[in-house]
Amino acid sequence: MLTITVPVYNEEESVGPMVDAVREALRGWRDDWELLFVDDGSRDGTVGAVQSRMPDEPRIRLIRLARNYGQSAAMQAGFDHARGDVIVTMDGDLQNDPRDIRALVTKLEDGFDLVAGYRERRKDFLVSRRIPSWLGNALVRRVTKVAIRDTGCTLKVFRRELLERLRLYSDLHRFIPALAVAVAGARVAEIPVRHHARRFGRGNYGISRVTKVLPDLITLAMLRRSREHPLQMFAAAGIAALTFALVTSVFAMLAAWDWADNGSVVVLTAVATCWLSLGGFLILAGLIAESSLQTDSDDRQFDGVLLRRIGSL
Amino acid sequence: MIVSERSEPFAEFYREYAEPLRAGGISFEFIFVVPASGQALLEPLIPLRASGEPIVLFESAENVGEAGLLRSVLTHCSGEVVLVLAAYRRVAASALPLLLQAIDDGADLVVARRTAAGDRAANQVQRRLVHGLVRVLVGGPFHDLGSGVRAIRREVLAELPLYGEFSRFLPLFAIREGFRVQELEVPQHSADRRTRIYSPLIYLRRLIDLLAVYFLIRFREKPLRFFGLVGGLVSLAGFFILVVLGAQRLAGKPLADRPMLLVGVLLFVLGVQGLALGLVGEIIVHAGSKGRKVYRLAPIKPE
Repeated sequence: MLTITVPVYNEEESVGPMVDAVREALRGWRDDWELLFVDDGSRDGTVGAVQSRMPDEPRIRLIRLARNYGQSAAMQAGFDHARGDVIVTMDGDLQNDPRDIRALVTKLEDGFDLVAGYRERRKDFLVSRRIPSWLGNALVRRVTKVAIRDTGCTLKVFRRELLERLRLYSDLHRFIPALAVAVAGARVAEIPVRHHARRFGRGNYGISRVTKVLPDLITLAMLRRSREHPLQMFAAAGIAALTFALVTSVFAMLAAWDWADNGSVVVLTAVATCWLSLGGFLILAGLIAESSLQTDSDDRQFDGVLLRRIGSL
Repeated sequence: MIVSERSEPFAEFYREYAEPLRAGGISFEFIFVVPASGQALLEPLIPLRASGEPIVLFESAENVGEAGLLRSVLTHCSGEVVLVLAAYRRVAASALPLLLQAIDDGADLVVARRTAAGDRAANQVQRRLVHGLVRVLVGGPFHDLGSGVRAIRREVLAELPLYGEFSRFLPLFAIREGFRVQELEVPQHSADRRTRIYSPLIYLRRLIDLLAVYFLIRFREKPLRFFGLVGGLVSLAGFFILVVLGAQRLAGKPLADRPMLLVGVLLFVLGVQGLALGLVGEIIVHAGSKGRKVYRLAPIKPE
């Protein structure tokens, strides 16, 4: 079964055309699908708009979040309630085209866990959307080492087994491919998809999101490199600090040799102590990080990476 | 439900507050909870209970703070709606049916806001300052979290963080959890119209509580955004100082005897410590993410 999950926030006008477009796109290809709307605390008539289409299309489902949680939580809610073994995510504002779903699913069947769409000819404003997006994608690629051209495109197809290992919170929805590789070792592919300009309303994001992206990226890079052994990373930085401490102490001792140079002895000793405290702190912090992982190991299924069977049994 | 640490003429308190509930035909019980060795506070209520009034009395075995007492007593209350009252009469008794009505009208939690008219100017100024700060840091529509009077659906109360000193900030957590929270203006009790100035230590404690609430509500899922900003700025300042000192060293000025070197290194080290704490926080959040619910569903009304 195929689940198409669509987070919607104040998309009253888009819902109807969306349902039509999905039905049209899947007609003649497959019938075993469901269209799962996740209402992210809309204040307009979005819920009513979905409900009004439910009588004549029984494959529509709707869940409502208690408030506006943001796209990560809305997507996670969609994943939690999806019944399909292949799950599609799509924007609620008709910028993605459901006709691309078929190509994405076909690609997934070639042996991938996640196929992401990338918008070839974006119909967005150059300065406020396309340039930040281009810079952002370059940064994501560089930091996460996952070669994704367009991490912001919502149109993606997932295998269920992958989603069972992912947990979206905060604003991680922007980095799903990188997260999938970082925590589950997912095989990710990308194919071009169509992109339409918004037909109704205006975008629900602003340029300000760029400032939130950097900490998230650092987190992702860290999860990818040292999720399994954070102490290694913290200890490496700690040892660097301890080396500084050692070098500074040597200078302090040299200055102490020459008693006339009192000021240098005081300053250098204090500086060495700073580095020493940083080194100790980082190693202790690494130990705390390690111990937080220990409490998590009772669910092996969630912790494990995706495996591929080689050859036949 | 009344949680108290100080003595108040509880018999009078009970008679006054029970009256409008009885008049409104609402079935109710009053639960009084006092901290350890506070039993004497409740003695005036014992004859009332003996005469058949619906009063339940508890003394806690340990001092766990108001929210902790609420958590402990929750299993003993049988109502569907819990009215949490301050131990001092802060709102007029006529407010109680209004609060319950707001719950009936669909709210999950209602905060009583004492009408400002008639209150002392000093109180009003304090209240405005504090709630301005709350709004800037956390948001929410509140003007009088300190009234201590709330009506809450029982099952909602059970889902809120009932520990520590968070009882007065529960409405903020309720909003985070997606519950319908409302503020309702109600008449102030005449006994409450006195100037409230506390010791500076109390204000400091509230400020620390507010910092905890601010962090928990805004950054619980993204600690690095908070620690990263603070740590990043501090370490950048230190780094900048070190670069300037380094440049001056290259120009021939001695480096080792300058206290500024210590300031630069110290700031850098502090900043890196902040960043490292943020990263540890992210690892903890990630490790715990599997079991945590990141959203709550709302019921869907049929069309």
